[in-house]
Amino acid sequence: MAKTKTASADASSNAPAEKKYMKPSEIVTFGIGLFGVALLTGWMPDYTATFFADFAFKGKGFDTSTMSNVISTVFLVAGFVGAVCELIIGYLVDRTKTKFGKVKPWVGFGVIPLAIISILVFVAPNTNSQTMAIIWMFVVYSLYTAISCAVESPSNCFGSLCSPNPSERSSAISIASFLRSVGQSGGMVVIMVAGIIMKALMGKQQYKNAEAQGLDLVISTAVCAVGLILFTMIFFANNKERVPFTQEKVSIKDSIKVVFGNKNLLMVSLTKLTGCGRGVYGTVSLYIAIYLLGSKDLKLALLLPMGIGTAVGTLLVNFVLKKFSTKKTYILFCIYGACSLAILYLVSSKIGFNDTLIIPFLIINFFCGLQHGNTNTTPNIMIADCVDEIEYKTGKRQDGIAYAGYGLFSKVASALTKGLGPWLLYTWSQYQVSTDANVAYVDQSDTTLNRLLMIYTIIPAVFVLLQAVPILFYDNVGEKKARITATLQERRAAENADNAAE
Amino acid sequence: MANEKKEFNYGLYAVSVFAIVTVAILIITLFTFKSKYIAFDAEKVAVNYVDSIVQKGDGYNAYKNTLVSKNSKYGDFIREQYMNPVIYPEYKVGEGTDGLKGYNDESYMSDKTKNDDGSLAGQLADEMYVYYVQLLETYGWDDYDSFFKNYFAKLAEVRQGIFGDEYLSDEVMFTALEANVASYGDSLTGTEAVTDEKSGVTTGEDTVGFYQTAFGEDYKISESIKNVEALNVDAYKTSLDAEMLKTYNVSADDITEAVAVTVDVVLEDGTAIAQLTVNEVKIGNSWYVDNTNADTSALYPALAK
Repeated sequence: MAKTKTASADASSNAPAEKKYMKPSEIVTFGIGLFGVALLTGWMPDYTATFFADFAFKGKGFDTSTMSNVISTVFLVAGFVGAVCELIIGYLVDRTKTKFGKVKPWVGFGVIPLAIISILVFVAPNTNSQTMAIIWMFVVYSLYTAISCAVESPSNCFGSLCSPNPSERSSAISIASFLRSVGQSGGMVVIMVAGIIMKALMGKQQYKNAEAQGLDLVISTAVCAVGLILFTMIFFANNKERVPFTQEKVSIKDSIKVVFGNKNLLMVSLTKLTGCGRGVYGTVSLYIAIYLLGSKDLKLALLLPMGIGTAVGTLLVNFVLKKFSTKKTYILFCIYGACSLAILYLVSSKIGFNDTLIIPFLIINFFCGLQHGNTNTTPNIMIADCVDEIEYKTGKRQDGIAYAGYGLFSKVASALTKGLGPWLLYTWSQYQVSTDANVAYVDQSDTTLNRLLMIYTIIPAVFVLLQAVPILFYDNVGEKKARITATLQERRAAENADNAAE
Repeated sequence: MANEKKEFNYGLYAVSVFAIVTVAILIITLFTFKSKYIAFDAEKVAVNYVDSIVQKGDGYNAYKNTLVSKNSKYGDFIREQYMNPVIYPEYKVGEGTDGLKGYNDESYMSDKTKNDDGSLAGQLADEMYVYYVQLLETYGWDDYDSFFKNYFAKLAEVRQGIFGDEYLSDEVMFTALEANVASYGDSLTGTEAVTDEKSGVTTGEDTVGFYQTAFGEDYKISESIKNVEALNVDAYKTSLDAEMLKTYNVSADDITEAVAVTVDVVLEDGTAIAQLTVNEVKIGNSWYVDNTNADTSALYPALAK
């Protein structure tokens, strides 16, 4: 049995599960904190890609083909930096022991450099050297990725430390996750409102001129960065860590060993890799709004139905999980997701890229969003089951290692997505970048428009199906799962009896 | 944990961090905005205006930094003043198009229009290009009024000949005009055929532009400020055409400063190829090129050949 020791707590781990520990305001401010982090981190990747490609070095005469390839590589490299940071930060968080707790310092102090580096991503150097420009993109975005990892990962961990009561903890995590999802789309509201205010203050043409330099992106990033600081400070001031944490040595080697040593955990983790391309739609959402639906402002309208669909999908998954196992639920939703995306492609192709497409596109987009409820919820339940299985087999409960290992796969997958998305957009689709200082987005060919639509629909659909493949080999369900749960309960009861006897 | 609040003032920390970081972000944002947004700087406005015309002969887009675009989007100005009168027979400038039936109604579309895969639209742009160059030689972009009126009247006529219908929309008009603007730019700079490495498909063609013939294949044109002279703002305001300003929804009373900025246009080896003095006025915090008295003919060497 693993020896653990209490490092910090203001509540006993043996306290009754029914007892409420959190003030109602804490549940809300936990959500506000995650909202603030997601407001910025949800905004950055897509708009950084847009900024790098369309505005950062506009008019410098750099080779567009080289720049397109470089942008893909920037996101790929930054993603791997993020993957490494995920483990390092997880390693450091487990060794953090302060009067604030082990997670709060990372969030409360880390947001300062995060806010600053975020705005600096949108301050391109005035250089005529393409090499300098490329180096700058690699350095600034990798820095952003590393620092955002140091804030985002610990903030996501806070849920497990906010209350020793599993039920209360689940409620808090659930509310916070919902606000985090809202925050991820918040940047789109910001850019829309920023555009309206800029138009009112500057006049329509002057706004267009500013937009052609990417200045609306700069201002929106500044607003999101200020929002990050405001909301995380509210969280930092009001929330406490209440769960005793154990201090076990966690190494990268251990992490990889656990992930690869348990077949089911490996399969769940592999879904991130086999489904890595399902997120490429995010890279083209802005361009879908501009070229297929006719307005940049429609990006919000485009992603809002999908966001609502995701929220509804989360509820739907809970309902389906009561009828089917996690394995069947996951596969079912994957098949549904691929079909809905294929229908979106077929309907859009049939109608053509004009005003008539907007309403059907947005409606089907809602139904496409339902599948995301599955990928947000079911794997987390599966990982918890895998942790039980690992404990059943080894006697050690290794939530942290499992989380870090799964996080590693997530980051690698995210890197692949971020590399693949820009490559598909700027190279494969033959997207033409504006070279005119007065024009933000130039007209695109029919081939390009069709490929943009494919990047939004068909390509994610293929990856949605692929992500279900590892789950075919997942077997921690039914009788096996029930046996593990029962055995663990018996062991814990016996352990408690021994402790009581001592 | 109980002593945590006594030892560390969370409220003070939160407020301090928020205030300091917000100020830092504000400074960085203002700095970036000021360095990128040219309208705050009279010299940058002048260079941008001259550069747009010199590099690609694009007097059309150069208006985006002039008084024309002070209060409305340049495209909207063209629609209201020049396109709508052609599209809607009963349209009056200054009034909206609500309730008016125009040639942009689908009932005017022939099968040729409905089924065009872009080739007839391309033919329209090609045929209009000859006329575009003629208008450039006759009026130049400085007389945009004559330019737009004649161009769109001719466009309606040529389009009818090609498509066999009266259909006409602002999209049709902008597409042809902007294609001509781009083609004229290409005639100056030359173009290169591009072959996709993977597919082997070649798009475009190799052409030699006027600038390449005149200044060498690897010519490089740049602009620099020679002189900035503050003008007597009251005298300048009096000299402005009030009626024309009214068209732009601008009042002379709004102008707080006026300057004359002289811009040199030179080749990489320092050879001067043109010079232009641009008059600018300041309204609010922004500078605008005063297009009402501009003479940019010196910036069109291809036309003066």
